[in-house]
Amino acid sequence: MRKFVFNLRLFFESARLSYIALFRWLRPGTYAASKIIMPLADIMFFTFIGIYANGVEAAPFYVIGNAMHLAAINGIYGVTMSVGGDRWEGTLPYLFGVPGSRLFTFLGRAFFHLLDGSLNVIIGLLLGWLIWQLDFSQANLLLLGAAIATATIATCGMGLALGALGLVTVNIMFINNLFFFLLLIFAGANVPIEQFPNWMQTISQFIPLTRSIAAARLIINGAHLADVQSMLLVELLIGAAYALLGFIIFRTFEYQARLRGTLEAI
Amino acid sequence: MSERNIAIRYIRPILMSAGVLFKQQATDLFVIFTVVIQPMIVALLALWMLGDAVDDAIYIVVGSGMTGLWSGLLFNGGNSITRERWTGTLETIVGLPTAMQVIVIGKNLANVTQSMASMIACYTISSLFFGYPLVVQQPWLFAISLVFTGIAFVSFALILAPLFILNPAVRSFQNGMEFPVFLLSGFLFPILLLPNWTNPISYALPTYWAARALHITSQGLATRHELLFVWAMLLGFSALYLIMSSWIFRAVLRKARVDATLNMQ
Amino acid sequence: MNALVISDLRRVYRAHTGVIKRKVKEVVAVDGISFEVGEGELFGMLGPNGAGKTTTVKMLTTLLIPTGGRASVLGYDIVKDESKVREHIGFIFGGERGLYWRLSGYDNLRYFASLYRVDPAVSKTRIPYLLDLVGLSGRGDEKVEGYSRGMKQRLHVARTLLHNPDVLFLDEPTIGLDPVGARELRQVVRNLQAENKTILLTTHYMFEADALCDRIAVIDKGKIVALDTPAGLKKHVQDLSVIEIEVFGLRSEALEKIRTESYVDTVSLENRDQRQALMIHSPRGAEAVPDIMAQLDGHRVGRVSVREPTLEDAYIRLVGGTHE
Repeated sequence: MRKFVFNLRLFFESARLSYIALFRWLRPGTYAASKIIMPLADIMFFTFIGIYANGVEAAPFYVIGNAMHLAAINGIYGVTMSVGGDRWEGTLPYLFGVPGSRLFTFLGRAFFHLLDGSLNVIIGLLLGWLIWQLDFSQANLLLLGAAIATATIATCGMGLALGALGLVTVNIMFINNLFFFLLLIFAGANVPIEQFPNWMQTISQFIPLTRSIAAARLIINGAHLADVQSMLLVELLIGAAYALLGFIIFRTFEYQARLRGTLEAI
Repeated sequence: MSERNIAIRYIRPILMSAGVLFKQQATDLFVIFTVVIQPMIVALLALWMLGDAVDDAIYIVVGSGMTGLWSGLLFNGGNSITRERWTGTLETIVGLPTAMQVIVIGKNLANVTQSMASMIACYTISSLFFGYPLVVQQPWLFAISLVFTGIAFVSFALILAPLFILNPAVRSFQNGMEFPVFLLSGFLFPILLLPNWTNPISYALPTYWAARALHITSQGLATRHELLFVWAMLLGFSALYLIMSSWIFRAVLRKARVDATLNMQ
Repeated sequence: MNALVISDLRRVYRAHTGVIKRKVKEVVAVDGISFEVGEGELFGMLGPNGAGKTTTVKMLTTLLIPTGGRASVLGYDIVKDESKVREHIGFIFGGERGLYWRLSGYDNLRYFASLYRVDPAVSKTRIPYLLDLVGLSGRGDEKVEGYSRGMKQRLHVARTLLHNPDVLFLDEPTIGLDPVGARELRQVVRNLQAENKTILLTTHYMFEADALCDRIAVIDKGKIVALDTPAGLKKHVQDLSVIEIEVFGLRSEALEKIRTESYVDTVSLENRDQRQALMIHSPRGAEAVPDIMAQLDGHRVGRVSVREPTLEDAYIRLVGGTHE
């Protein structure tokens, strides 16, 4: 029990610290810029392209897809930066030196990004409601919340894997940018997956967001739990698989670094 | 001022600054992402989304290429100044006889030239997608428009640069400027789709006039009258930004020397 | 005409503290200093870290605007005629930053030459000459990131000489260098002196100032506490001798007792492992030793020596025994 409480504290403490460290330079103005202006402009850009192609009736398809994709801002950039942050600050040796479950430290880092990422999606959907009168009257809001949480958890899982990869490779920003945009294509935020060639459709099945985006569209159209529960469950499993992969990379890296004494050298 | 004097005071520092930036950035993965990979992804998405809706796929090539041109200018232009901070050279170059503005023109020139790669990247991927080469309808007018676009972008970046000199935390500012300009410039959809009140903002952006010039010449829709008007707007804005920037530069550098922020990281 | 005229120069930094309640804290870095430097003179500014040396240099090189007072370089005002000043000065700030590490040494110099508006025909011969002057000939084509710290700092010197400036500001040019690297760099400075350049050098190494400078201003807490030739500064302590005593486990009451003795001018203490080195300035010289030994009764005492004062002793007397 005591061990559990200790781990729980470690979890929240590392969550809180990584969040403060990431946003310490943010003033309210710049926070608003990265929290509101950038995500909204992102959604509007693709939605207007969609409207140009298919008329304003098609707007919900694009708004929902792109709003859900905003979960990846935190899931990918946020999580990798707080995992990889140790490397920049030169604090990695200290991190490995502390006792306590690394799993909890590791997961703790993802926690606040989860909350913040969900908030991104909600802001995005509200924009759709404001500008294009996105209709939530048929939607089970609780279920929609579950879909949003699923999207965020799954992208955070991928973020943990990329963040761990960032400890091994030099160019984490490149990897982040690439995966952020690849998700935008492959998850079907702007193009129905059925339009893709087969090899692309296969990839779509193994990444976060594909199912949660589809589920969110169904839910807003009035779907029930039974219609979407398997999609959300599979997406959660995919997120967990990425998180596990990240943890394995993290541990392997730690072991190798201790073996070779290269903690400082990286 | 003699020709030789102009060469030594302006031309050479500009070309050398551009050359140094090329050497520093040629293999930078972040730069390659911004000016090649991201525009290609935008082009792919636009091809799927707009493929049936627009008459001429060259519209997508030009529009997505322009997104790379703007992202390249915004991110690499800002980063090239922030990098001076990191290397500790910002102070040094402020203390040189050559004006900071001249050095930044050189950097912008390199960045714009480099960002033109996005046009080539988008052209290539679109041709592959369609399986046949796409045609620029009015190649000479398009080429001239591209040069004017370059000039306009260099001078537009010149009024952004002082922000980067003043503020070391530029990333969120850059993120906040990237997509809004995509939206307002009519790169991939007409600005008529936007609410009317945003149109004046679009008209104040050189990116809008550049997109218009490149779109009409590539699609072969340019009438002499419209093209001259658009070119005049492009060059007019370039001149305006050039004049404004020299005033802003002076104010900003003075402020930095009063607040002692030149060597901050 | 004097190359540098500085009168009542002052600089205050404002620092903001606190996130929610923003408080403004003022720090006076340079507190009304005045001095003049003649043409061709090598003028030293000597002082502990944070004394205001670098701030003074940054104001004189136009990188900071003074809060008060005025200064001119070769007759040009550092605020109003900044571009004129920049044409005629060269400057380096100690340390290895401030170069483009991804470029070769030669490319760094070629780039800066263009920014210093050196005629390309001139820089073609000048760059190899400068590389040779700072002992980097043959290494110019290598990337700077592979240079040793000393090589980078010497490349800085070459950089600042590209436009053949009349006045040079060298801010702690030997900082962080190993003894060999520092000696090589001092030799470079001597060569510049031979070329009749006006040089303002800051350092916190006494022997460096002693060996190089024509005159030295000792600066502490933003004020000039002494300004003289090295020999003149030593005169401040000429009436004194320095007694050095090695003791083990010195008790503080014994130290305080010695400090109050009438024949003791200043006392400083340096810890070396278990031992302490007690340094006493006294006009009585060797004669004072028996009295001091009496005060140290009950302590284990090691080596005792009496010597003539050096510039370092003068410096310690001027800035107090509290600094390292």
